[in-house]
Amino acid sequence: MKSNTNCVLTLLGLGLIATLWSGCSDSTKTTGNAAKSDSAARTYTIGMSQCNLGEPWRVQMNEDIRNAAAKHANLKVVFKDAQNDTLKQRAHVEEFVSSKVDLLIISPKEAQPLTEPVARAMAAGIPVIVLDRRLLGDQYTCFIGADNKKIGKAAGEWIVKTLGGQGNVVELMGLQTSTPGQDRHSGFMEGIAGSNLKIIFSADMKWLEPDARKEMESALSRFDKIDLVYAHNDPGAHGAYLAAQAAGRTGIKFVGIDALPQEGVAYVSQGILNATFQYPTGGAEAIDTALKILHGETVPKEIVLGTRLFDKANVAQGGQELN
Amino acid sequence: MSEASTTKAPNPLLRFVSSPAGRAFLALLLVGLVGTIFNADGAFFKIGTHRDALRQASVYGILACGCTLVIITAGIDLAVGSVLALVAVCCSKMAIHWGWSGWLVVPACLLVGCATGGLAGVVTARLRVQPFIATLALMVLARGAAKYASGGMKVSTAVKNASGGYDYVDVPTLFRLVDTRILGGHLSVVTVIFLVCLGLAWLALARHSWGRHLYAIGGNEEAARLSGVSVVWAKILAYVASGLLAAVAGICQAAQEQQGDPEAGVGYELIAIAMVVIGGTSLMGGRGGMGLTLLGVLTIGYLDKILSINAVPEAGRLMLTGIIIVTAVLTQQRKRT
Repeated sequence: MKSNTNCVLTLLGLGLIATLWSGCSDSTKTTGNAAKSDSAARTYTIGMSQCNLGEPWRVQMNEDIRNAAAKHANLKVVFKDAQNDTLKQRAHVEEFVSSKVDLLIISPKEAQPLTEPVARAMAAGIPVIVLDRRLLGDQYTCFIGADNKKIGKAAGEWIVKTLGGQGNVVELMGLQTSTPGQDRHSGFMEGIAGSNLKIIFSADMKWLEPDARKEMESALSRFDKIDLVYAHNDPGAHGAYLAAQAAGRTGIKFVGIDALPQEGVAYVSQGILNATFQYPTGGAEAIDTALKILHGETVPKEIVLGTRLFDKANVAQGGQELN
Repeated sequence: MSEASTTKAPNPLLRFVSSPAGRAFLALLLVGLVGTIFNADGAFFKIGTHRDALRQASVYGILACGCTLVIITAGIDLAVGSVLALVAVCCSKMAIHWGWSGWLVVPACLLVGCATGGLAGVVTARLRVQPFIATLALMVLARGAAKYASGGMKVSTAVKNASGGYDYVDVPTLFRLVDTRILGGHLSVVTVIFLVCLGLAWLALARHSWGRHLYAIGGNEEAARLSGVSVVWAKILAYVASGLLAAVAGICQAAQEQQGDPEAGVGYELIAIAMVVIGGTSLMGGRGGMGLTLLGVLTIGYLDKILSINAVPEAGRLMLTGIIIVTAVLTQQRKRT
């Protein structure tokens, strides 16, 4: 069905070019125009396979993709949510291949089980953009993602600067069996290396706000002097803030990561957090890259996204780009 | 049992220790002892630590009260965690986004809880679907409803406006009231709410004919029916009560997080059930009580707090909690043979 429509469209386009060619004197210009109108008339379908819409950050990723695609009338994006199920996501990739989408964007749940299905999509001639999490090998067109280690390091350096190189810090870690949790920790340690900051209490709050609040309460009952809380995500920092509020402790600074508009950035605007570092979703960049691929341009194999710092001074202006 | 004790008249201390309450109390004592030894530089002896341990255990405790009622009928309620999330989302939506007064929000939320509980009750008691299956289905359904009502995002004080930006509204008074402290800052209000729920549930279970009916149903449903107990209604009411208490827990959760998180309460049902079982209420039905559940809540709550103040790594925490649950249940079971 679809290939038939494509055939008709191509024939119509060719006919148009031929007519214009015979009718006009300036042949080079008209060919250019005709080619342009042809690609504009062609509608591209992009399949987006999301691993888990249970996380607000991933909801934001889909939102960013939707908003970026809405600016291009010839892009149609079909979203699928695998609900954190690897095999479901594999089925979604296979469905996109059999429905012959023009391009596939995937934010995979895990590398190993999804590498082969993606490779088969590539073999079927569908370009693939991998978002956020990596696959094994090189059977994809482009990888777009942020670097948690770099973000952790940026947070560490900012904290050293803000505290003047010394003080007592509580670290509330994301799930330590997950790579983002490990990287946000090791990057942070790199960032504060050589300073006199002391990490007096650290706990795994598993990305969960109620757990962060509980751990912070324990830290508060153990230590009388806490200068700053570094949480691996904004809900964690928010939970710690609530615990300190309830305990009537003031003078503690709170730093988070992720900077979603309705979470971290909102918390900074409200004066709850002192700073948050954006973990970009890459949604807009994925659509830009997709357009380039569809127009036959070459794109880099790997795009590493930078982070943005949001603090009291710059939050109204939309944060500050960091490298 | 009473005959044996009158003829033999053993040491009252021994008798207490061999009763379910005594065993549950011993488990709590053991956890307390662990806390005294591993006191994290004296943090365990601070009053704030105990206040926080009780605050942390309160939401689980409220769920456990509801689960106790259902478990005594030999049923189970797996949906409480999801109902908590659904109510937390609804509560935040009404209180933060729509700016409703607390007088309206609380009854509306309780109604949502009753409705979901009623649904589980009707499917189990009237349509005779196994409670495990019926509440498992409701667990998934309520989680879906929570995600639908919230649009997949947390319902927070950052409200999206027409131009795509965010307006910031104040935290509603209801949330402030629930998430505060009384008695000079030494007792959290959520703990008071938990104790009130526990007291009411105890009254209903131990002092009201409905409570006796629940025990009768759990002991032998057919015998209860033949002796004139309206089994269907008593069971439906048990699930409604469980849903109602899950709604109370949902309001407390939303107030403490200052937002409605559709992902809140994942796995809470299992913690609540573990609390009930550690107390000594039998999963087979017919035996148990609210006092036992209080002991179970305190045991798990304090265990959690002690592990937290000592900053024990996650892997160790999980394994220790598992071992404690099995040990506690094993000592409870020895009585049965």
